[in-house]
Amino acid sequence: MRATLAAAETEAWRRLGLPGTWWTASERLAIACESRAAADCAFCAERAAALSPLSVTGQHTIAQKSVPAHAIEAIHRIRTDPGRLGETWFLQLRAAGLGEEAYVELVSVVAVTVAVDTFRRGAGLPLLPLPQAAPGGPTRQRPHGARPGPGWVAMLAPEDRTDADPDLYQEHPGPRRRYGANIHRALSLVPDSMNPLVGFAGGTVSVQRSDA
Amino acid sequence: MALLRASGRHADRDFNLDAVIRGDPGSDVPHGGALLAFADAVLGRDDAALGLARDAVRLAVGDAGLSDAAAVIGGFDGITRIADATGIPMEPDKVVLTADFFGALDIGRFRREKA
Repeated sequence: MRATLAAAETEAWRRLGLPGTWWTASERLAIACESRAAADCAFCAERAAALSPLSVTGQHTIAQKSVPAHAIEAIHRIRTDPGRLGETWFLQLRAAGLGEEAYVELVSVVAVTVAVDTFRRGAGLPLLPLPQAAPGGPTRQRPHGARPGPGWVAMLAPEDRTDADPDLYQEHPGPRRRYGANIHRALSLVPDSMNPLVGFAGGTVSVQRSDA
Repeated sequence: MALLRASGRHADRDFNLDAVIRGDPGSDVPHGGALLAFADAVLGRDDAALGLARDAVRLAVGDAGLSDAAAVIGGFDGITRIADATGIPMEPDKVVLTADFFGALDIGRFRREKA
């Protein structure tokens, strides 16, 4: 494994065990654990195979009883049937009590877990054990310049950033400045959620460049 | 697909994107057949098939190449979930840039099937 890839994986995994912005470290690890378990959820499998996910009713097989029900539904659908998510589904989660910022951080945790697990499955490496949860509470800091859209959740566009907001579009290290493509803005409501996957995915993008 | 086409142009090659969509090895991507089978196996649940596909990629590109290929698959498996779960649209300039193969390859069928 290239050193940059190993470092990106290590950093992404380490950060899973740190307190987040809207979830504690223990909660983040419960989300990661639940996203792994969702792959074997019989209800999810039945729903994913159905012509419409709304045509199937049932109960998720839950591994982490501490995770709220609305978060369980989010984790399982993002893990097992992401291509058919819709804004109505998202708004139902919001109406059930899942905060917009907490949802964004949850998406990040699931995505990092999936990315690392899929990489290791492909490479023939054992799954990493989840890290220990670090103490501390979530910081609950929402970017001042965040505005609704262009997706379902609010985002921090480069032109809306205030002096109190982090610069999310300057690559470190390196002189490259991203213009703020939607995929880079997607998690910007929770800036600390952006960095781990950008680091891991950045390793993969550099692979593509070196292969080209 | 846009990244793959850009990679091809960077290498002064014109990959057959239609072959990628159809899942056959005629894409002109080096070791494309082995890589396509590997990607399918990684995202599937058949461990025996994955073992065979992994061996084929390792034979074709070595251990470092296998690791890199797995990282690309893992990265995209994660990042597409971010796009799907946040509802981000494609930017207007990318709609223009991808319009040719979006129509020619009938990529819109994925959206129709999703609905």
